[in-house]
This record gives sequence, structure tokens and C-alpha cells, in this order.
Amino acid sequence: MINYKEIKSEELRKEAEELKDKYFLFSIIVVDRINEGKFELNYLFENKENADLINLKTFILRNDPKIDSISDIFPAADYEEREAYDMFGIIFTGHKNLKRILLPEDWPFGYPLRKDFVINDEIRNWTGTDLRW
Amino acid sequence: MKEITFEDFSKLEGGFLLTKAKELAHWLIKKGRSKSLWPLTFATSCCGIEMMSFGASKTDPDRAGILFIADSPRYADAIFVSGTITKKMANRLLVLYNQMPNPKYVIAVGACTISGGLYHHSYSVLLGIDKILPVDVYIHGCPPRPEQFLEAGLKLQELIKNDKIERYKGYI
Ligand code: SF4
Repeated sequence: MINYKEIKSEELRKEAEELKDKYFLFSIIVVDRINEGKFELNYLFENKENADLINLKTFILRNDPKIDSISDIFPAADYEEREAYDMFGIIFTGHKNLKRILLPEDWPFGYPLRKDFVINDEIRNWTGTDLRW
Repeated sequence: MKEITFEDFSKLEGGFLLTKAKELAHWLIKKGRSKSLWPLTFATSCCGIEMMSFGASKTDPDRAGILFIADSPRYADAIFVSGTITKKMANRLLVLYNQMPNPKYVIAVGACTISGGLYHHSYSVLLGIDKILPVDVYIHGCPPRPEQFLEAGLKLQELIKNDKIERYKGYI
């Protein structure tokens, strides 16, 4: 069973604290709602005993994508948040090690899963700095 | 007193035999090198599964002198680059390549390593490993059959034996 709950982005840490004992973090899903100028973040938590899911849904502004990190409450959020930063450029304030995880460390072209990211020849032919035998 | 070198001997009228001996030694070294290739077991995705099958008993590369036992780049002679090479992986692949001792040979396996393959229009996949590595033999297919791996291995052995690889011309 999935329970949806829409919250304000400032309440996220408080809600996460309440879920801490009974639940574990399952996934963080980001949706780029470009027409509304927002990112939708879905934090999925799973109950340790009966596998019930809770979906905490929250919205943040697209031109100021900042939200509190919960990686100190749920350590599993560490990599999930890094991936969200890598693909969408969402800044998780309070994260200890917020850097690229799936793309190269020196990737210069922005955030590829945003809807306004355009793949052009320059990006496709880029091989990284000084990458040659 | 001037030291007498091997070259001086071979320049002499009677150096015929020595020249022949040198040629024979070089021929033996090349033949020996081609018949004991130790490819590095390096694989990233679906082509890697096919490479495992190539190493197994049905294709049996050991009988052709291609031994799948190098799990460290430090004692590998060749690398079968099998699987999709992303731009992040490219860096790591280059590190592995640089750790291999000379002479070292590269075989590009599958559409992904030749041109990006299925992911040719994606942002994250390298458009062919020949952008970063010198490739000696290409195997086409998505994925190639194990027999094609074997054929590529035999091709590479032929190239080594006949000294056809540009960057190792005359290398002993
Ligand atoms: S060439 Fe085909 S089989 Fe090989 S890694 Fe690419 S997609 Fe997979």
C-alpha cells in the first residue's frame, strides 16, 4: 500500500525524523515540471515490518533548486541525493559530499535530465580533458 | 680499444650466419609473443557476457594460445574492450591501458566500442574508443559471437607475427 503525503519543502527534515525508526529510505524520484517552473521530489520510504510505502511529495522552485539534505538522518540518501544533484542540479544543503556521481568529475555541460538540456555534437564528441594514450 | 659490437660482426663478410641468427631470434620472439597472448579480462556490459562465453570450453581460446588468465593489467599483453564505454569509464580504461607493459594491443569489441552503437546519440557514451586508444582489431556485432572473438584473436596473432602493427614496427 502506498500513502501519499504532500508536504512543504521546509518540513521535510521534521517528517523524516518521525519516520526514522520504523522506515527506511527506498528511493528519491525527481520530476522536472518545466511548465510550472518546479521540480517535484518524491521521497519513498518503506516500512521495515510490513513493506508499506510512504511517498513524501514536495515541490521546489526550478530557478532556485535548494532543499535540506536528509543524508544525516537516512544514510541511504547520500548517493540518491548525489544522483539528483548530478542529473538535475538540485542543491541539497547540509550534504557532506555533494559532487558528481554518474558523470565524469570534470563534466562541463550542466544537468542532462533537465527537460531543457539539448544534446548537441559538442557534448557527444567530448571525451574529457587530456584523455589520449 | 674500440669495443666490437654485434653490428660490427654482421657487417663482416663472414657475418652472414650471425645476421641469419638475429633474424631467426626475432622471428622466434614474434612467433612466441603471438602465441601466448594474455588478454586482460575487462568488460562493462552485455558484450562482456559474450566474452565470458568466449573464455569457456566451447570456443576454448587456450588451444589458439589466447589465455584468459590475466586479471591484472601488469602482466597482460592485450585488452578486449568489451561493452559500452561511458565518458566516466574512459578515464579508468585509460588508466588500465597505461598500466599494461609494452607491447600492448587493443581489440574493440562490439558496436558500442566502435562507434557508440545503440547509444550513439546519447550524451554519456564515448563515440568509439579509438578516440582515446590505438585500436588494432575491431569486431563488429551487437553482441559479437564468441567465434568472432576467436577470429579477432587469430587476426591479432597474424598481425603480430608479420610485424604489421605500425606503432611496434621493429620492436623486440
Ligand atoms: S555492442 Fe551491443 S551487446 Fe555490446 S555492449 Fe553495446 S549494446 Fe551491449
